Amino acid sequence: MSPRLAPAEPGFAGLAAIMAAQPLHEAGPAGPGAEAAALGFTLALAATWVGPAGLFWAGEDAAFGEEGGPYPVGLAQYGIALDQLIVVRAKKRDEALWAAEQALAARGAVVICALGAQGKPLDLKASRRLLLFAERSGSRCLLLQPANGPSAAWTRWSIAPAESESEDPRDLGLPAFAAELTRNRAGPSGARFTLEWNAHERRFAERFQEKCEAVFRPEVRQA
Amino acid sequence: MKDARWLAIYLPRLATDRLIRAGRAPADDRALVVYAKQANAYQLTGMDARASALGLRLAMSLADARAMQPSLEAVEADPEEDGRALDNIAAWCERFTPVVVLDSPEGLFLDITGCGHLFGGEEHLRQHIVTRLRAQGFVSRAAIAPTPGAAWAFARYATRKAANLRDQLQASLGSTNEDVAAKLSPLPVEALRLDPQPAALLRRLGLKTIGQVMQAPRSSFTARAGAQAMLRLDQALGRAQEALSPRRPAPMVFALRRFVEPIFSAEAVLKVAEDLCADAAEKLELRGAGVLRAELILFGVDGRDRVIGVNVSRPLRAVKPLMRLFREKLNVVGENLDAEFGFEAARLDVVRLATIDESARTLAGVEETAASAEQISSIVDILSARLGPKRVLRAQVHDEHAPERAAGWRSALGKSKKSAPVVQPARDGVQRRPIRLFAPAQIIEVMASVPDGPPIRFRWRRVTREVVRAEGPERIAGDWLKREIMRDYYRIEDKQGRRYWLYREGHYGEGDAAPRWFVHGLFA
Repeated sequence: MSPRLAPAEPGFAGLAAIMAAQPLHEAGPAGPGAEAAALGFTLALAATWVGPAGLFWAGEDAAFGEEGGPYPVGLAQYGIALDQLIVVRAKKRDEALWAAEQALAARGAVVICALGAQGKPLDLKASRRLLLFAERSGSRCLLLQPANGPSAAWTRWSIAPAESESEDPRDLGLPAFAAELTRNRAGPSGARFTLEWNAHERRFAERFQEKCEAVFRPEVRQA
Repeated sequence: MKDARWLAIYLPRLATDRLIRAGRAPADDRALVVYAKQANAYQLTGMDARASALGLRLAMSLADARAMQPSLEAVEADPEEDGRALDNIAAWCERFTPVVVLDSPEGLFLDITGCGHLFGGEEHLRQHIVTRLRAQGFVSRAAIAPTPGAAWAFARYATRKAANLRDQLQASLGSTNEDVAAKLSPLPVEALRLDPQPAALLRRLGLKTIGQVMQAPRSSFTARAGAQAMLRLDQALGRAQEALSPRRPAPMVFALRRFVEPIFSAEAVLKVAEDLCADAAEKLELRGAGVLRAELILFGVDGRDRVIGVNVSRPLRAVKPLMRLFREKLNVVGENLDAEFGFEAARLDVVRLATIDESARTLAGVEETAASAEQISSIVDILSARLGPKRVLRAQVHDEHAPERAAGWRSALGKSKKSAPVVQPARDGVQRRPIRLFAPAQIIEVMASVPDGPPIRFRWRRVTREVVRAEGPERIAGDWLKREIMRDYYRIEDKQGRRYWLYREGHYGEGDAAPRWFVHGLFA
């Protein structure tokens, strides 16, 4: 599984194709109040990758929130096949990491490892372990952690919610994210995307205006 | 019925032994008796060896006994405590066999079919039990026979006078019914486990020994002495089945090991567990079945048991994956194993099993790109063993209106009982339900709102949020049986693009109070 360095197509779609071949990625909220968006981005990536081996979502209690938790009806509407989902609620962080490692042993599985905001960021050793487990059995791990620290992940994404585009104040439209690639081991970082998640197609779409900008800017320079 | 072997234990001094063990032995060599009120008089119901030696007898009135022995220490009987003591002994006996039957008030039956060889033969087992009980302060007599009835008779009525006879009996007791019949013959009719009245009736009829009962003409006799004597005789001789209910349900498959030297370390326990799993796997293979729940019971030298249970989501028979589960479980309980005095025996009970569909098993190496369902369920088993089944979950969707009841989580072990409705993403990809639901919904402070419409500004978690977009209302009627109030739900987006699922309780302007608003969930 050697990651390709040059995207076949530009923009987020090309980047996502490369990411699919890398075993460990990381996402976190861009700020307070963006936790649901970071979770949504992570779940959406998982939904695009999930295969017959299914999806494990292992988190420490703090990452699930103190009251309530994941809502199956909403998850299904979000594009997560419920019969493929196993949720592990661990009491402590090391148990959550252990559970994620166990789940990564399933060939082809997608494993979300969710950590709470409390405590120190994960150390490099722990993220390396996740990477190793995933590489060994051809599974994929998505590390959802608010704190940004040293990590063996191929990318880290900082996620904020994005406003709806619709002119009509009575229409929310698709879930939308402002995603920033803050770390990228296989290429340049710093790219920003505004993404919409289409659960029915299980696909991210980039917002139109920004694509236009990317296309037309070189022409402006030539002039 | 294959060659069954039953061991009956008789604890003639249970009541006084229990008191002495509890530190209530009388001082200065005085005799100890237990009494209870029977037929308006206090009668002796139990006594220690000293009291027997002084000539006191059961059923003697307390007044007479006091007259004979003024220094007597008398304690009122406590049948409940005696029952508890008997149950404790029964629990301790489970290290010899899983099938232990309480024979209240002062006896036990152990089904030791196929267990004798683990203890160097049945006679060793019998002596071992008597010796160990004595070491714990309980006088006991024990006998082994092909039926519970015969064992009961030998344990009680092959008495001191016949002590030699009993030992001979034990040494040579055959398993054929003729042998048992011959050895039961000289015993008194009471050895048939009769109630006092039938026994007295038989004696009045001149039938004093079991042999005489056996020879008496059956038809006329049955009518007069009642069915009990004949039933008991047939049961003792194995001509009639006797249904005894064990103290704990007998496992369908079990494996037992006893150690010459107590074991202490977790490694030793794991080694034993592996042996037991291999034993049980062999038995399971004959049934074409696999484990769904297994319990490893460790019998401490101190008389206490530790039980380590593992659950499996698909019937499993291979030793390796079973051992992975026990290893995870022992990792958790390791510190609490408390093996201070070591363990002297261990048993593996297969508490629940299910047939393995051999044809459905995938061939190794067929699926290389994705883990098989078997691999996934074995991971679920390991996670559940270490973290507990309530922490490894699958989603469940129900046919309910109230959002909080429309879905939930259940243990990933085992199968869902009913087929759940399948939820698919909407064709337009739009989210109508949040990915995270609060339970209970959290109350919010609405600072401005359109009458009968969504809020314009609200406060939640000490932050004021400006509403930019709102979809709704979606009216969800509560369960009127539970007097639930109707709710109007709105999907809300704030200035930062954060999305909430809010609802207002009841109609606007209903009653005097302002309507209450809640946030029930968050969208991505």
